[in-house]
This record gives sequence, C-alpha cells and structure tokens, in this order.
Amino acid sequence: MTAHSIPENETIALLRNSAAGFARFDSRRIRDWRGRSPGFDRVVWQQMAGQGWLSILVPEADGGLGLGIEAAAAVAEQLGRACYPEPFVMAGLLVPGLLAASTNQALKRALLPAALSGDAIFSLAWQPADGSLKPATSAMRASRRNGSIVLSGECRFIVPAQADHYLVLAHTADGPLLVCVDADRIRPGLIEESGPDGFSSAWLRLSDLVAPEAAILMSGVGVTDTVEAALDQAIIVQSAEICGLMQRALELTLDYMRTRQQFGVAIGSFQALQHRAVDLFIQNELARHAKAAAVRAVEHGAQGKALSLVASSAKSRAAHAGLLISTQAIQLHGAIGFTDEYDLGLYVNRMIRLAASLGNAAEHRRRFGDLSEGA
Amino acid sequence: MSFRYGVPQERDWNALDDVEFRRIIRVEFETNYPTELRYAPRRLRWHETKDWYLRMARKGWIAPNWPLEYGGMGLSASKLLIFQEEAERWGIGRYQDHGTLMLGPVLLRWGTEEQRRRYLPDVLSCKSIWCQGYSEPGAGSDLAGLKTRAVRDGNDFVITGQKIWTTLAHDATHMFALTRTDPDAKKQEGISFLLVDLAQKGVTVRPIRDMAGHEEFCEVFLDEVRTPASNLVGELNKGWTVAKSLLGFERIHVGSPKMPEYGLTVLEAVARARGMWDDPLFREKYYALKLDVAHLADAYNHFTAIVIRGEQLGQDVSYLKIWATETFQRIADLVLETAGPFAAINGTVQVGNTSVDVLASFYKARTPTIYGGSNEIQRNILAQQVLDLPRR
Repeated sequence: MTAHSIPENETIALLRNSAAGFARFDSRRIRDWRGRSPGFDRVVWQQMAGQGWLSILVPEADGGLGLGIEAAAAVAEQLGRACYPEPFVMAGLLVPGLLAASTNQALKRALLPAALSGDAIFSLAWQPADGSLKPATSAMRASRRNGSIVLSGECRFIVPAQADHYLVLAHTADGPLLVCVDADRIRPGLIEESGPDGFSSAWLRLSDLVAPEAAILMSGVGVTDTVEAALDQAIIVQSAEICGLMQRALELTLDYMRTRQQFGVAIGSFQALQHRAVDLFIQNELARHAKAAAVRAVEHGAQGKALSLVASSAKSRAAHAGLLISTQAIQLHGAIGFTDEYDLGLYVNRMIRLAASLGNAAEHRRRFGDLSEGA
Repeated sequence: MSFRYGVPQERDWNALDDVEFRRIIRVEFETNYPTELRYAPRRLRWHETKDWYLRMARKGWIAPNWPLEYGGMGLSASKLLIFQEEAERWGIGRYQDHGTLMLGPVLLRWGTEEQRRRYLPDVLSCKSIWCQGYSEPGAGSDLAGLKTRAVRDGNDFVITGQKIWTTLAHDATHMFALTRTDPDAKKQEGISFLLVDLAQKGVTVRPIRDMAGHEEFCEVFLDEVRTPASNLVGELNKGWTVAKSLLGFERIHVGSPKMPEYGLTVLEAVARARGMWDDPLFREKYYALKLDVAHLADAYNHFTAIVIRGEQLGQDVSYLKIWATETFQRIADLVLETAGPFAAINGTVQVGNTSVDVLASFYKARTPTIYGGSNEIQRNILAQQVLDLPRR
C-alpha cells in the first residue's frame, strides 16, 4: 500500500524503526505460547525492557524515559504488526505509569525498578466483574482494620492473568485506594479464563484478604481520576496496537488477492472484490488517523473529559475497523483463511481480544456520546 | 493598495497570522453575505449570487487561489484552506466558479501568456462565466470515450457534439471543453482542451430538471460551433493530461468534513424537534455518524497538512471523497428516517418548534457520490493505483 505516512519526529522514527527491527512476526513462537501459562515469554519481556519500552511513559526523575504517548503508540503499532503476545499495553505501560504516580515513595522505590527492568510482572485489577468501563464502580471493597486493610469483592478481565504482583483498585468508605498484593496471596482467589488467542485473563475473587497499609500505593478521591487517565492513555496505545494488527491483516489479504488464481486470473482483479478491499483500506486509514489525532491531543495536554473523548474516539474506530478487516479478511481468503495453520487466524484471534478488552467499539461509541452530552 | 491585473489587493494576506486572517474573512462573510442565501438547499443561480460575487470581485477576493500577479489573492495553501473553511462554515453559495476554480489554474499551468491576458481579467470581473464541458451522453464514468469532434478548418476548430450534466451552463458565457481531435488515436490520446465562446450560432443550452425539481445542470448541444485555433490549451491531443492535472485538489475539496458536519446539525435539530434526541436507538446511530465525521476530519486534516507543507497529494486522497460523500449520504438518510411523516413535505417545514428543510439534505447528498468521478471509479483507482491490485 502506498498511503502517505504520518509525519513524526526523529526520536519517534528511530524508536519505530528499532521496534520494527526487534519485533518480528514469529508464527511458531506465538503458537508455542498459546494456552501455556503465562501466555508470553518472560525472556522476551526482559528484552523489551532492555529496549526501554517499559519505561517510555515513566518520568526521567523516576528512572524512566519520559518520552510520552507518541513513542508508546509507535512501539505498540509495531508489536501489533508482529502479533506479539506480550502484554505491552497492560503490563508494560499501564502499570509502570501507575507505579510512578504512587504517593507511597518507599513502595514506589521498591517496585518501580523491578517493573522497568522486566524482572517483575505487574497486573492491574480494576475492572468490575460485569465488565463496566468505569473504575469508579469497581466491585472490590476495602476496609481498614488495625493498621491493615481488608479486601473483599471481585475484579475481572485482569491481564496478564499470571503476574508477580497485582495492583488492586478497591473502594473504602473514605474513597478509593490502589494496593499492591503479591501473587502468592492472590492466587487462591484467582481463576484463569482463556481467550481466543490462547492468552488468559483472570477473574479475581477475594474474601477478607488482609494486606498491610504499607502496601497502599495511593488513596483518596484522586485515585479514580489517576486510574481513569492511565486507562485512557492505555486505550489510545492499545488502539495503535490494533492498527498494527489490522494493517498486517489487510496486507496479508491484499497479497493473497494478488496471487490467488481462480477462473484463470488473480481474484484481486475482480471489481467486486477490489471495491471491498478499498472499503477495508478506508477503515484502516480512518483508524490510523483517529489514533494519530488522539495521540496528538494527549501530547498537547488533553486531560480529564477531553482525554476520555479522544480515547473513545480512537478505540471505537480501531475496534470497529479491526474486526471488520479481520472478518472480511477471512471471507476474502476463503476456507484457507479459517484454518489454524494459516497465520491470518493468529491476527484475527488477537484482534478479537484487543477489540473486546478495555471497551469495544459499541461501548466506546456510547461513552463518546455520554461524554459529549456531559452526562 | 496595489493593483495587479486590474485587481486591487488590500494587503499581503500571507503576512498575516492565521488567526487574524481567519477573523478578517469571517467578519466580511458574516457582515455582508445575504442571510437568506446561507446554506441554500440548491445551487444558486447567477441572478441570485451576482451582487455578492461582484462585491467579491471589487474587493479582489474573487480568485483566492490565484497568484497575486494574475489578480488573485495569492493565498498560501494554509490561507486558502482557511478561506474555504470559512465560506463553507457560513454556508456561502457557490456561483458557477469553474472560471476561478478550474480555468485559472489550467491557463496558469498550460496556457499561453496571450490566453491568460485574453481570458483571465474577465473571469476576475465576472464578465465571463465559465462552465466545464466534459461529460457526454455516452461518456460518463468512461469519460475518455467522449465523441464531441473538433475539426481544424483554417484558423478555427469546428466543434460538433453534445455535452451533458454541465453545471449551470445556463449561467455561463464560455465553456472549456474536452473534444476529440484525433478519432484514430487511442482513447485518451486523441483529446484536446478547447476554450469556446457560447454566445454564437450553433450553441443550444437546455436545462435539465432534476428529481428535486431544480435546474442546476444542462445539456449543451454544439452544432458546427467555431473557436479560433489559438484557443487550444496545451498541445493538440494532450487535453487528457491537461484535464487530469486538476483532479487532486478537487478531491481534497470534496473531502472536506463541512457538509457532513452541517448534516449533523440538521439531524440534531430534527431529532430534538421530534422528541427523539434521547431515544437510545437514535443516539447509537447519531454518535456512530458523529464519529464517522470526526474521523473524516482527522483524515482530512492529515491531507491538508500535506498541502500546507507544499508536498504532492498521492492517489490515496481519493478515499476522502468516498468517505465524505457517503457519510453525508448516511446522515441525510437518517434525517429522512428521523423526520417521519415530515419527510413527505416539500421545502422548509415546521417541525415542533423548529423550521427545517428535511428534503434538502437528502437531495443534496445524492450527487456528490456521482460527480467528479463517481465513487465506483474512485474505488477502481484506489484498488489499482494504491492497493496495487491487478487490472483485468
């Protein structure tokens, strides 16, 4: 495809190129990790840390790169193109950002370096079990008792399912808090739920789990806003990852249309199929530009509602376009496109996960509408 | 104030910052454009727009896209976009502006200095109004199959044939036409670009009534119509190249989000008036369309930035036209659905406490997917030239 590229500065271009060089599509590796805990390669995760990718959003003062969301999106897009199973957005971006925002300096000093080096994997448990997108409605309750906090309730759709530490968003009578709990304390309440891509999320049910107050990363009314802002940024970067996936799925399809012969000609010469391919291309372009516009808005300081609006804008298009391209890619390939052996399925199954995770197209359209109305 | 080509220029527009420039344009439009002509439901005729455009001509604003030395405003790409955005934002009706939009750029690129001196001043003063003679009954999407013949006879070309879908030809004094000058050459290679005075024997202009009841385009019959050979633009038999060179800018213009944005305001007004604004089913559809328009704007801004940087637009710009015009159509269709029984009433109709022309956007949305290269043709171009899919 010869669509015009979106201009970017030198740092971003360098990062994009090195990410493209590093993250190669490896069909066998992806297949090897399907259905096998933790669903991705911790050696690769540490290499990604070595590239500095887990430090992108963390301020330099905290040992990060302080590069901003455009850099994160550039990396995520390349990981999408390579169909990487590693949970870059959830564990490599969302969590380090929240750890860096922690008001508990001692805990931050203890945890952040391990997160940035890739030595420890962190997972955020924030989403209510009913799948609501509002962290404010998390069904995990916390109460303070004798210098400890006691957690009861549930969170779901936790990615990755298997981590070394879990950041749990919980609500007390005095407002929300974010607390870090080690894996061995969490594991008894954890159920893994495997997904279409062979990767798992977790359903966490806690009943009177006691954690020390020293494990609280932050508390007070601002916590929900902090988590929501971190989630909105993650949604934008996830949209970039989806863009990478859909672009590659479309390229695979166009390649197939150019080479597959039926009736003595390449099927890509049929006008009916050409026009469908163009409609997919248009969706791909819209997703790219909606994502780029959201990235620009964040780089220009969008916060609060403005941030949520651009995040929902980007994700609603990415999820819609991504699934449309996926399903049409199957149809345009014919039966081969539906086989496990052909690599398209890896992209489609990963697409289903990312489109559904952190809000799908319909949910984000609705959220965009509610935010536009000021509801 | 300086005079170029007989046209006054108030100032060096490009020296202003964008905000100040936009303010000046906006004040002029908002102060002086006749309110009753804003967002006209159809193309306006010259007798309706004449006062306004003569004012623009007197101000030196008639050709914002032309260079200063030829009497234009000499606007940079970014200033020109602002000018157009403000015109669209205020709902300013176009006259038959092919003279400034198309003929000017064509003569500046391909014409002789003599042709420029002969024709451009009259375009600037609106003394001559130009229409575009491209489509024919047998040559629509397959434009290169056109049959109107131009035969050399002494110092003249003698033209015989029929043009159709000629926008506002009944307001025009002149036509730039694609004509076949070599019937034996391959389709695209026997076409020449000629300038024709319509005020002569052998020219018959017949308006065509459209299904909305308006008369915006015409048939033009040319029966041994003469034009001097000096009115050939570019080389003989190279008219296809001349015509094609204009297309890029047209496609970015028709890809502007302003029309669909306007459609959304109509849709909102109708929905509110009918008590459907809070209906969840309506909201689903409305916000899906609103995001379709928002992402059109995101893509459009990407392409305008390319123009502003002074880079060439690629063929991929064609998708803007497709998405803009089809999004507008989906919005217009939802206006009709939301209006319920009011969709069966002509003209501006009282709906609840709002007055709105329900059918105007519906009709207005039909033609952009057809003209300027139908969306099907645009898809062919994208498939073959951008997606690199094989031709048959």
